Order: sequence, then structure tokens, then C-alpha cells
Amino acid sequence: MGAEIVVHSVGKSFRLFHPRRPRTLQEAVLQGLSGLRPVERFWALREISFSVAPGKMVGIMGANGAGKSTLLRLIGGVGRPDEGQIHVHGRIGALLDLGAGFHPDLTGKENVYINGVISGLSRKEVSRSFDSIVHFAELEDFIDSPLRVYSTGMQMRLAFAIAAHIEPEVLLIDEVLAVGDISFQQKCIQRIERFKSQGCTILLVSHEPALIAEQCDEAIWLRAGKMVSYDKASAVTKQYVRERKLALKTGRAIA
Amino acid sequence: MTRLITGSTTNQWKHPSIQRWLYVRDLLQTLVARNMKLRYKRSVMGFAWSLLNPLAQLLVFSFVFTTVLPLNIPNYTVFLFTGLLPWTWFSGGLIEATEAIVGNRELIRRPGFPIAVLPVITLVSHLVHFILALPVLLLFILAAKTTLTWTVLALPLIITVQFVFMLSLAYLLSTIHVTFRDTQYLLNILLLLGFYLTPVFYDSTAVPPRFHLIYSLNPMYHLINAYRAILLHGVWPDFVSLSLVAGASLALLLIGYRYFLGTSSQFVEEL
Repeated sequence: MGAEIVVHSVGKSFRLFHPRRPRTLQEAVLQGLSGLRPVERFWALREISFSVAPGKMVGIMGANGAGKSTLLRLIGGVGRPDEGQIHVHGRIGALLDLGAGFHPDLTGKENVYINGVISGLSRKEVSRSFDSIVHFAELEDFIDSPLRVYSTGMQMRLAFAIAAHIEPEVLLIDEVLAVGDISFQQKCIQRIERFKSQGCTILLVSHEPALIAEQCDEAIWLRAGKMVSYDKASAVTKQYVRERKLALKTGRAIA
Repeated sequence: MTRLITGSTTNQWKHPSIQRWLYVRDLLQTLVARNMKLRYKRSVMGFAWSLLNPLAQLLVFSFVFTTVLPLNIPNYTVFLFTGLLPWTWFSGGLIEATEAIVGNRELIRRPGFPIAVLPVITLVSHLVHFILALPVLLLFILAAKTTLTWTVLALPLIITVQFVFMLSLAYLLSTIHVTFRDTQYLLNILLLLGFYLTPVFYDSTAVPPRFHLIYSLNPMYHLINAYRAILLHGVWPDFVSLSLVAGASLALLLIGYRYFLGTSSQFVEEL
């Protein structure tokens, strides 16, 4: 398949504005335009370099706010890095924000088409996979009912079932496995293993060292936007778990 | 102060362009259909609701300008309707398109989503309402016993020019609205004033000659005159002014679209 990700010394900064930055034209006129300039920059990511060979799976871990999701979105082409380059080769699929475009008043079937097309499938591709999506979600009896009668779990199942039917070469996954019951999580993991066996290059953001150690070839540990370590998944997760234990003992917070 | 090296994200894998276009068409079709369904699904009156606003305006304005302040325009109801419908599409479409970015945070943050399609979706949805109302206009035309001629064939052309004009404004407005969230209020005021300064409910011939130049700078002035020419008077529209509007709109569309694309990588941060 030849899919590949190269991230070369990437940095992403967010502009911090004056608290009184005008948010409306009215305020801008009253205060003058000087308030529009950012006061300083805050680096959400800095000096990030790694590469993922075709068909490999890399885990990204770190505390909340470490920059994991920002990195994932940058690789997906959402926003632009302020430093460095990102090269992605391949059709990108994303398991983040599952269920985009879902509306409670539309039926399951209508929502499958809307979300499927938003996820990058053509209408024809959705039609072709429709039965398989409904079967995967185990929602055959409800597919013509409006989404508002679905439980949260049913909606998640439907959303994941659609996402499972995209055929990406590069797959970005952000913590979706944290939702749903055990059997649903199992099903998600099985599907991800199948993506992997099909030669898909995968980036997985997760808080679970065990999951990363088990599934990924390599892992990256981010703390406050910097790479703490980048190595074989087993080595990074071991270090992560060890430092976390140490931090608990000494009462020092680690990222 | 750190020196910034401009970063970049490249995806060497190119979507075959025909496939990409087919995909964007599917996306447009699906999301416009979604808007339609949501609008009509839970109301029994359905389609009637979208007609209610222009019809109510039609009723009040015809009463005022045939009875209270007679303008002495023949077939005033049809005359008014041919101005009101394009104006309703124009103002309704623009007000909603201004929110096309701010109101779709979820889609903006999605890898691979072609965000430039968002303002188009809103304008096409409003265009569908406009087209669905045309048969009602036809009933009024038949009732008034004015005759339709072959010039009606120019209708798709006029609609296309208006669409391009609206789209160029939609790209600018939706981008500005990301930074200044009162853009929509300002637009509301401008549209209200524009309604009176565009010959919607009066005839453009009633405008004194010394104001003609100012009036002719308003693209909606030419567009509404063109609609009236083909639907009411049965003559061909003024193709010269129509091409000028089309040319200016295309130039503005280019500017608006470039501004939109140039700013689009910052949308995620601002939402």
C-alpha cells in the first residue's frame, strides 16, 4: 500500500490574546484594532519528529493537554504547523468525533448516509456497505426509527460501524475505545487489528499503556508538547508506568 | 522572539480529481437533503411554512401599495412577487451562510472534510426553497393573465448569476464572522436597508435619474430587473448589465474564495 507518515521537527503554537481582545466589530471599533494582535505564543507542540513505516502502528500517550489530539489533527491536515513539515502518503481515515452530523430527528438509515458521506465515503460506497454496517452495529430492528429513540450505546455502535467501513491507508484513532461496554470494546479492537492486517498505517492516541503495549509497534510519549521518549512500544510503556508509580510515591506530578 | 519557520502539511497521495468532484457532489447532495428533511420532517405544514413569509409580505405590501399609497403599477401582486422571491433567497441565504463556519465546528475539525463546500450547502438549500416557490409564482402569473413567453428560458442564467454573486459574499462573510461574531447582526441591518434601496416593491423607473449611477452599483438591482423582464414583461433581460454583474461577481468570488482558503487553517483555533 505504501502508506507512510513523516513528521519532521514540527511545532504548533496557539496565539494567546489579550483578555480584552475584541470579539465583535463593535468592540474593535470602540477599542481600536491594536487589541487584535496576539500578546504571546503558547507552544502546544515543539520539535516533534518521528516517522511511521507503511503498515506500522504507533501509539501516542501523555496526560490531558500534552498535545496528542493537536498532533493527530495536524497529521490529518486540520490546521497548519508553525514549524517543520508533515508528509502523509495515503488516503486518511479518522476515528475521532464519531457520529459527526448525526441528528436525532432523522432515522438510523438517513444518519448512516449522512455520516458515511461526511466520513469520506461516496453515496455508492455507503449503499454497498449499508447492510454490513447495520449488521456490524446489530441494529437491524431499529434502522428505520429516528435516532432519538436510540440509547447512547446504540448510537455509538452505529457511529463506529460506519467508521469501520471506511477503507483508509492511514488511520488516525483518538480515544474512541474508551466508550462502550467490554464486548463493544473487544469488537473495536478486533476491527482495528483487521485494519492493521490489511496493511493500514495507524496512529493511536490512548491513555491505556496496556493497550498500546499490546497493539502498537512503537510509541511516543508526549509531555507539555515535547517528546519525552520515542521507542519500541513495550519500552516506552514500561518507562511511562515506572515513572507514574515513582511520581505517585514522591507525590510529584508527572505528565 | 522565536523565528518561525513556516510549516507545512503535504499529502503526496492525490485524490483522482474526477473522483474528488464526484465525492464533493455526493456530499453536497446528502447535506442539502439533510437540511430539507430537517426543515420539513416535524411540521405537518412542511413546505407551506417556507412560503408563509413571502406570502405574508406579499399580502401586506400589495394592500399598502395598491390601496393606501397606490403606486399605480399594473399587475402589482405579480410585480411584487417577482422581486420578493429573489430577495428572500438573497437575504435568507446570506444570513444563514454567514454562520456556515462558526456553526459547523464538528465538520471543520474533521480531517479531510472539504470545508469550502459549507457555504455552498447553505446557499443551495435556500435555492431549493426558491425553486419550490416558483410554481406558486406561476399561478399568480396565470391568474393575472400576463403571458409567459420564450424569454422564461433565460431564468436559469439569471439564477446562476445570482448564485455566483451570493457565493462570493458568502465566502467573505462566513470568514469575517469567525473573527467578528457580530457580522450577522450588521448584515441583518444592511439587508434591511438594502431591501428599501433595491427596487423590490417599487419600479426602478421611479428612481430619479440623478440616483441611477448609485442604484446601478447594486447587483441585486440588475438581477431583479432581469427577473421582471422575463417573467413579467416577456422580454429578454438586459444582457449587457447581466454580464457585467456576472463578471464582477466572478472577480469577487475569486477574491472571497482565496481569502477563505488563506484563512481556513486558522478556523480550528478560533472555534
